[in-house]
Parts: sequence; structure tokens; C-alpha cells
Amino acid sequence: MSKIHAALEIGTTRTVLAVGETNNGGRLKITCHAEIPSAGIRKSQILDISQATQSIKSVLREIENRNDAAGSKITIANALLAVSGSHISASHAEGNAVVEKDKVGDDEINEAQRAARNIPLPKGRELLDIVDQDYEIDGLGGISSPKGISGTMLKLNTLLIHADSNRIQDAKTAAENAHLEISEPLFAATCAADAVLEEHEKRNGVLVLDIGGGSTGYAAYSDGCLADAGVIGVGGDHITNDIAYAFQTTNAQAEKLKKEEARAVLGQYSTENSRVRLTGSSTLMETRSISRRSLDTVVNARLKELFTVIRETLEEKDLLHRMHAGVVLTGGGAGMREIDALSRHELGFDARVGKPIHLDGLENVLDPWAAATISGALLYSHRTDEEKSVLSDLFGRFFK
Amino acid sequence: MTSTSQPILLLGIGTAGTRMARGVSRAFGEGIRCILADTDASSALEGEDFTLLGGDRLSGRGSGGDLVAARLAAEESVAALDPKIEGVRLAVIVTALGGGTGGGATIEILKHLADLGITTLVFATTPFSFEGEDRQRNTRSAMSLIEQESNSVFFIPLDKLVCGEDVMEEAMKRAVDTLAGGVTLLWRLVQKPGYIRLDADRIRRLMVDSGRGRFAFVTVQGPDRAAEAVDSLMRSELLAVASSPVNSILCGVLAGEDLRLSELGRIADGVRDAFGDHVSFELATVNDEKTFCGRICVVVMLFETLVKSGKGPSSGPHRRGRASRDKSTTSPAVDRGRFWNTTPTIWHGENLDVPTFMRRSINLEF
Repeated sequence: MSKIHAALEIGTTRTVLAVGETNNGGRLKITCHAEIPSAGIRKSQILDISQATQSIKSVLREIENRNDAAGSKITIANALLAVSGSHISASHAEGNAVVEKDKVGDDEINEAQRAARNIPLPKGRELLDIVDQDYEIDGLGGISSPKGISGTMLKLNTLLIHADSNRIQDAKTAAENAHLEISEPLFAATCAADAVLEEHEKRNGVLVLDIGGGSTGYAAYSDGCLADAGVIGVGGDHITNDIAYAFQTTNAQAEKLKKEEARAVLGQYSTENSRVRLTGSSTLMETRSISRRSLDTVVNARLKELFTVIRETLEEKDLLHRMHAGVVLTGGGAGMREIDALSRHELGFDARVGKPIHLDGLENVLDPWAAATISGALLYSHRTDEEKSVLSDLFGRFFK
Repeated sequence: MTSTSQPILLLGIGTAGTRMARGVSRAFGEGIRCILADTDASSALEGEDFTLLGGDRLSGRGSGGDLVAARLAAEESVAALDPKIEGVRLAVIVTALGGGTGGGATIEILKHLADLGITTLVFATTPFSFEGEDRQRNTRSAMSLIEQESNSVFFIPLDKLVCGEDVMEEAMKRAVDTLAGGVTLLWRLVQKPGYIRLDADRIRRLMVDSGRGRFAFVTVQGPDRAAEAVDSLMRSELLAVASSPVNSILCGVLAGEDLRLSELGRIADGVRDAFGDHVSFELATVNDEKTFCGRICVVVMLFETLVKSGKGPSSGPHRRGRASRDKSTTSPAVDRGRFWNTTPTIWHGENLDVPTFMRRSINLEF
């Protein structure tokens, strides 16, 4: 019987629930995927729990209805939760162990890992993930497998990704009110990265930007491991807000302009395409037009600024120059026309729009880059289960 | 001290701004250092210190309600103000938003004054609510830029200066005269101080860490005039709506020789009680029997808190002589749009929730 995995993403723009199953070949396939517009959420923060609960109930109902229509019954009781928001940050920690017998053994490795995991977080923070980066032996770093290497002091460098406990609890509360238990919260940007990256990209150094509605998460990989991660509190909603302000439109009109007309870079504007018609929200409202160049200028200014913030963040940490495999853009914001070209120009690296590659089931989805986070969360569940199966197999054989 | 050597300058910009500044000048009498600036040459009257903005570009015909044209005009002509503002430490600017020159030229002049290290305090009226979308849009565009470029700004809705039953021409005149009256009182506090003095440096200290402000004044007479003054101020619509907590208060009391200590105490206590004991409070007085004779005028200026990021001045090119101000972290709720009720995203002192094109002063064609 194939294992079922479920993942939930409560985003600023959409609430998404996806269900996946592992097929006979051991590969994960998304069997059902539903998303509905979110309510009560701004900049990835839940401002109204009852509205967020309603969004979750709606997406659960949608999944159940689709399965009913396909002739199968499904009830989702728990799911992984992909989390974003500017309250998430990463900090470096280290665990040390004295090498007793001149060469590093399992005891020292376990001791260093235990020590790294015992670093207390500031009050009010909750750990989302702890990533082992590399080992150092007597100051010599970049060691991925230290067993058998001679030395006197072993150090493990780790990256702790942590979030505001209250924000996580708000999401859990909203889900619990919708009768959905959250099994584990995960960081959205690293989920997206796991879904869209190949191993060689992580080895060569790559930056993943998950541009959501309320915020933009980033995950920077170098030498095969996660070097840094974080969230900037600017997302697609900021572009919409800028458009609404510049042209005095409603949010709905601004969102439509962003999705259907705007470009990330300024281009050539002929007389025929120099204006964009802006239809009113009712038949009584006057139809007017705005300058296409101005629309693109507003979008370009906002995205350029976002890339500048990302660039300066990584430069401060001496990481930008290590992204040899370039930049991969995911999330709903990656659908902006020519955003890869702008990214290339602003960050100085090759850029592509990333689609999930390690699972199946998204072939008919029009914007697969927007499903990167939810795909990554399902992959995490799938891989965790695989590891548990391997372990239980080993123990099973041992105790037979 | 001659008017040209005073450290405080009154600067009227645009047609309504020049009218207001003229009103202050006349009400105050001799000794006020005043410059008028407009894109419309017909604003000038003989004997005044008038600077025509954008003479080559606009030929003295005015900006025609075009903010961009007014900014360009001011950018071309702003250096002409330099010989006239030697020694100025504080510039009080009066203008009206909604048209082109009031909003557009003011922004460029503020930038120039900041470059020269001059502290700026702006009084800007905003149009009547019925004045139409074009004027409202011009106003919204100008407001956040003026707030960024000035040290403190008081936006005064014209709707709150007049009564709905006024005849149009009278309403406009009354609005202008009312604001001019308030600024005149401020001038008196500085130029003709009584026992408790107010000078340019004290005003500048109050403006540190402030963004927008609120401003109101009342004139009363009678046996309970102190209590009535406090009561009228608390009911004033001009002090009603805040966008940020109050950081500091300036309270000016102008009266004749009959001003009693108990009245002064009653007014000071009343204003302080209304806005919190923790707020920095400055009191100044004017004793002028000839002007006030039995009346008492109370002026209140509330300087609202500027939200700081702690990361230092805003990003962008460094300007020579610019006083360090985290001005760009102030953003009134209206400029953050749909993010008004969320934790702001601050980066190097800038609030990224405010539209980028506004913070970068990017001109858009419509």
C-alpha cells in the first residue's frame, strides 16, 4: 500500500494543500493539488485566524471533493506545514568535541552533533531546521566526512533556521481549528530549493529565491550544503500595491495588470502597444488607459530594489561570489515576465525559473514554479519516510 | 537684528503659499525675513523679495497644475535662493498642495535646503475633498515626498479650516487667513518673546526624531479663558487624527500684560494631560498688550514620532551638508497601502512597504 503524504502552505496570496503518493518505483507523485485565494494574511503573517481557518477548510473540502469526483475517498488528518515570513532567520552555530584517540571516530562526530544541537535559541523562537554544513579539524575546514582524520579538536558548523514561535503557533491554531493537525513546520525556501535543484547545482553554489505574495525567501547553497537562508519581507503584493498607488486603481485591477500586462524590464514601446486599457470594476465606471512604460517602470523599480536587497545581504556574508550555478527563481512571483532577465542583470549570474523536478503530477499545471514549495514539503515527507523504511528494514533483518 | 540677518526664514511657495506668507508678513509687521517663490510671475507684488521659478522653462506663466513641470522649474532656479538665505538655520515653509507649484517646487526646494544644512518646517494645506481626483492625486504624490524631505510637516486639510456654509470665495480666503494667523503666532513666539523664550534652536530640537505633526490654535477671552482655550484645543479637529504617537509638544501662549501664572499653569497642564506626561513638552510665551489686550491665544504644535530602524540614514547618494535624519522610515499609514496594519519592512532606514517609485522620486507619465 503506497504511503500518502500531505503538505499545507498558508501563503499571503493562496492557501495550498497537496497530496502525494509514492509509486511502486519509489518515486513521489502529486495525486491531488488544490489552492484557493487566502484571506486574513498579509506579508506571510496571519492577521485573522478565523479567516485563515476558513481558507484551510475550503482547501480541504476542495481536495476531498476532487477525490470524490475521481472515485476515491480521502480524509486528511495531518500535514506538513511550509512556513515563510520575515520573522524567519538563520544563525550559525557550532558544536565542538575533543578528539580522544588522535583520529576522529563516531563518538566525536556524535558529540559534535549533540553539542551543535544543544545551542539554545532566544526566547520566543522555534527551530524549523538544523543543517549540518561542514566539519573543521584543528582549524582545517570544508570537511564533509571527518571519520578517520587525525587531529585534536573537531568542530561541526551548522545553520539553525528558526522562526517566531507565536507565528508558527498561529498557523497551527488555524489548521487545528480546521481539524487538520500539523505534523511539522518546514521552511518554505528550502522546501522550494529541494524541489527544483539538482545536486550539482548545490555543489557548484546556487541561490534559490522563492518570491511569494507576502515575502521572498532565499536559500544559498555552496559546496553542496546550505550556506545561508532567510526571508525579506517584500513580495508580489508589494508590486500590486505599488501599481495600485501609481495609477490609482483597485487592488484587483492592479493584480490583473501585474499578471497580464507588466514586465520586469523596460523595453521598446511602439505607438500601438504604448497604452494599457484599464477596465473599471463595473459597467458604470469609465474605462481609462495608462502608460505601459510607466507600468513597467513601477514594476521594474520594485523588483530591482528587491534584487538589490538580496545582493547586499549575500555580499555582507561574503556569499554572492560563490553562486557559480546562478540563481533559480521560484514561487508565484517567478511568473513575472522577464524576471529572469532582470535577475541576471542585477545579480550578475545566470538565472532561470525553477520548476519541481524530483516528483511527478504537475504536468498539467500552468505555473509549476508556484508549486515548488508545496512540492518540496511533500518530498521532505517522502524522503523522511524512505529513511525510516531503510532503518526499519535494517533493524527488521537484524532482529529476525 | 535686521530681517536679513535673522536665522529663521519664512518661505511661501506657489500662489497660495505666497499669499499665506504675505498674510503672515503683514500681520506681524516689520522685521520678518520672508521670501516668496512661484512659477507664476503675477504672484509677485512690488517691493517683495520674490523669486521666479523656472523662468526659462515656463516663462512665468505657472506650472498649469503639473507637478513634474513645477519640480523641474524649481530644480533649475533653486540656486537663485542661495544669496537670500545666508545665515538661515530654520526655514518655515507655507504652501498649498493640489496644484503643481505647491507640491512640486516645494519638494525640490526642501532638498536644496537640506543640502545646505537648513532645518525645515512645512505647513501645507491639502485640497477640499470636493476638488477633484487630479488635485487629490497631486496631493497624495507630493505628501510623502514632502514628508521625506522636510524635518517636520503639518498637513492641514482645508476642509477643517472652514465651515460648509461659507461662500466659496470667502471660504478660500478664510482658510488661507486662518493658517496665516497660526503661523503668525508662531513667529511672534520666536521674534517677540515674553518671559519664556522660544528660539530657532529650541524648535529644531523639538523636531529631532519627528515626522508629521499636528497644529492648531485658538483665541479666547473672558474670565475662564485658560480653561476654555484648553477645551477648544481638545475639541479641535486639527489635533484629532494621528498617524504616529506624539513625540514632543510645543505650546505657545500669547497674551497681554494680564496673563496670570495660574492661567499659564492651567493651559500647560491641560495640554500635557491630553497627550501624556512622557512626552517632551516646551512652553513659550509672548506678552504683547497692544496686540492681545484681554485675549489669550494658545498655539499647540504636536510633533509625531518618527519610526527609526536603528540602521542609520536611508540608502541613496549622500548629500553634502545633509543633516542626519532617518526621515525615510516615517511612513504615514496611507502610503503603506495594504500593509498599514503589519510590521514594516525596514532596510537601511527605509520602509520598503512604501511604494518604491515614490521613495525614489521616479516620475511617471500618465
